[in-house]
Amino acid sequence: MKKASLPNVKGIPLAGAVPTGSHCSAPGRDATVNQGQEKTTPAGKRVITVALAGQPNVGKSTVFNMLTGLSQHVGNWPGKTIAQKIGTYQYNGTTIRLVDLPGTYSLTANSLEEQVARDFIIKEQPDVVIAIVNAATLERSLYLLAELLCLPAPVVLGLNMVDVAEQEGVRVEPHVLEAALGVPVVPMVAARNQGIRELVEAVDTLVKNPMRYTPRRPEIREDHRAVLDEIESLIDGYVPAPYPSNWVALKLLEGDTEITRMIRTRLPEDRWEQVHNVLKQHEDAILAVAGGRYEWIGRMIRAAVEQPRVGQVTLTDRLDRVTTHPFLGLLVLAGILAIIFWLTYTIGSPLQGLLDTYAVQGGAELTRQALAGAPPWIVGLLADGVVAGAGTVITFLPILVIFFAILGLLEDVGYMARAAYVMDRFMHAMGLHGKSFFPLFLGFGCNVPAVAGARIIDSPRARMLTIQLTPLVPCTARMAVVAFLTPAFFGRQAALVAWSLVLLNLIVLALVGIVINRLVFKGAHVAFIMELPLYHIPNARTIGLFVWQNTMAFLRKAGSIILAVSVLVWALSVFPGPGLENSVMGWLGLLLTPIGRLMGLDWQPMVALITSFIAKENAIATLGVLYGAGGEAVGLAETMAASIPPAAALAFLAVEMLFIPCAATLATIRQETGGWRWALFNVGLLSVISFAAGILIYQGAALIGWGT
Amino acid sequence: MLKQLLSLLATGGVHTPSELAARLGVTESLLEQMLADLSRMGYLRSDSGSTCPAAHCTECPLEDACAVGEPGGKVWTLTDKALR
Repeated sequence: MKKASLPNVKGIPLAGAVPTGSHCSAPGRDATVNQGQEKTTPAGKRVITVALAGQPNVGKSTVFNMLTGLSQHVGNWPGKTIAQKIGTYQYNGTTIRLVDLPGTYSLTANSLEEQVARDFIIKEQPDVVIAIVNAATLERSLYLLAELLCLPAPVVLGLNMVDVAEQEGVRVEPHVLEAALGVPVVPMVAARNQGIRELVEAVDTLVKNPMRYTPRRPEIREDHRAVLDEIESLIDGYVPAPYPSNWVALKLLEGDTEITRMIRTRLPEDRWEQVHNVLKQHEDAILAVAGGRYEWIGRMIRAAVEQPRVGQVTLTDRLDRVTTHPFLGLLVLAGILAIIFWLTYTIGSPLQGLLDTYAVQGGAELTRQALAGAPPWIVGLLADGVVAGAGTVITFLPILVIFFAILGLLEDVGYMARAAYVMDRFMHAMGLHGKSFFPLFLGFGCNVPAVAGARIIDSPRARMLTIQLTPLVPCTARMAVVAFLTPAFFGRQAALVAWSLVLLNLIVLALVGIVINRLVFKGAHVAFIMELPLYHIPNARTIGLFVWQNTMAFLRKAGSIILAVSVLVWALSVFPGPGLENSVMGWLGLLLTPIGRLMGLDWQPMVALITSFIAKENAIATLGVLYGAGGEAVGLAETMAASIPPAAALAFLAVEMLFIPCAATLATIRQETGGWRWALFNVGLLSVISFAAGILIYQGAALIGWGT
Repeated sequence: MLKQLLSLLATGGVHTPSELAARLGVTESLLEQMLADLSRMGYLRSDSGSTCPAAHCTECPLEDACAVGEPGGKVWTLTDKALR
């Protein structure tokens, strides 16, 4: 491996070659590189001091060990608990005293290590600093170099791990990098002893030809250059040797505590006041200083590094161009949602029908036959309450399994994060608080964790708004109700109707959000960055597990609360009797008939809405009990389709989707908002919205003469 | 460049690292470092682990379906200092 040749012609005097405009010109050192530590031993041998700098894990220790071998002396840095390693290396009659500086990411004096490293370079002024960088992560390594170049010692860059970089497809051009940086660059693979000798050669050449050192240093951003000059002139004459005054000025702008403390003790009070005022006015100067370094890094990387173009990355990028596009991304999401419903219905609904006919109604019939001699109320309880109610809910299973399988697939492929991303942009455009998206997205699964998740929002008002909007996100339970009922009423158009219902919820959510947002708080924008995972091939086991866990969770719920509600609904629909009309349910339904009538609905669906307060999926169980009460072996869906006109059914579904939160969600809202006030506000808000939507839909349909 | 990044973030909404890196003309690796730097300087705050739902993930029934708590799903928020 050959050292890259230096770009400058040997011997050109560079006394005035300090680059102008640089925010750290390190005056007095560029032209006098080897006047620092270079000494001669009594035997006439030359001794030079070389400091070895680098970030952790770039192979700095390997270089140090290769060069110094057994000549190492390990001690502590004076007054510090950090290990100091010094060794020697003989080269062409020169003794190189090699000092291993602590591994640091930068030189901002954030840590003891950083302080030790920069103090050594400033106070001991080594003849050369070798900066070891990892070629595979050059950008990160260059930040340290950007800071090293501002210190009063010439730098040689050891471009280590070029083999790793090549394996990863990163191509660094040492010659180009050298020309761009203006410092010697030596490509190396220290672990295989490649380039070590060339590195020493470069150090030797630099020490012998200091005039050839012409680094291109990072510059402070244009708009802050005057401030830097002002600070420098204010502290001129007060900076203790050997600190370079422009470096000190830079560190003051960066808010470096150590340097600030040092200057404060040196400056007269009135002068310090002046400096302090300038610094206070330019608190954001640190951005200009660090930003200048990043721009410098960007220039170097663009000049000398060819980034990898790996197939997978490109594929992800190409897909993301569509899936995260502000408009196309929404279309993709809407399309995927449509496919989910379509698949759910074409595969799930027939299976559900079979389960309903054979398992639920067959089961109820069998129960009746088996209990032929038992008292009628026991037969009713078991056949019409337990089997019809809970059984109907269990017929959801095929739909749920398919739904969860598709959700799991999308998650595993890596799409879900994109969906979140696209949805957030959409909501943001609607004037909603950006960060609200995460809890709202959780709401698609279940509103309870969504309300609890609103805790991530810092602003109390924004948190409140998010909580108020959460129940408008259609949860799985409501989706299941919709998935169950739509095919019965709308046949082939079921998928379209279900899709529109979800859309309706999102539109209402956006509208309510905009209104509350405008009225309650003038939303300050909060930005955040979300890393999108690479797309990858889904794993069947992961998806299987996802489906299994979610389905079991649903069944456990169906086994407890839904069963209890089914029995309760049955009891309330039978007692005191005789007949439904004379039951508690019947009376409750009668109370709601005025509202129901506006939507073309009988009392049974209205009662179903009420029971869905306990848990959304209870709507099905209730309808199962109330419509199954006739006892005829006709599927619930068919019975309902026969007695409810399409427009009324659509109104019912819309109300169900937009209705007041379930008891668990309401309890969570109360807990999160610290009282009943906002929980009850939500109940009121959603009652109005849902009934208004239902009435509008039915009356609208009546106006155009559809399905009433 | 850091200021440019901050003003991009100040427009609000969600950003992906690749989008931000492309707009600044840097690689994602450098962007990551810039974000870390901004957070060290007090202009950004990383929410992961503290108030983020990631901390509540274990009690959430949707842990597996959630895109938020995923490893690498970093949430950065602009601090008051950055908004000024």
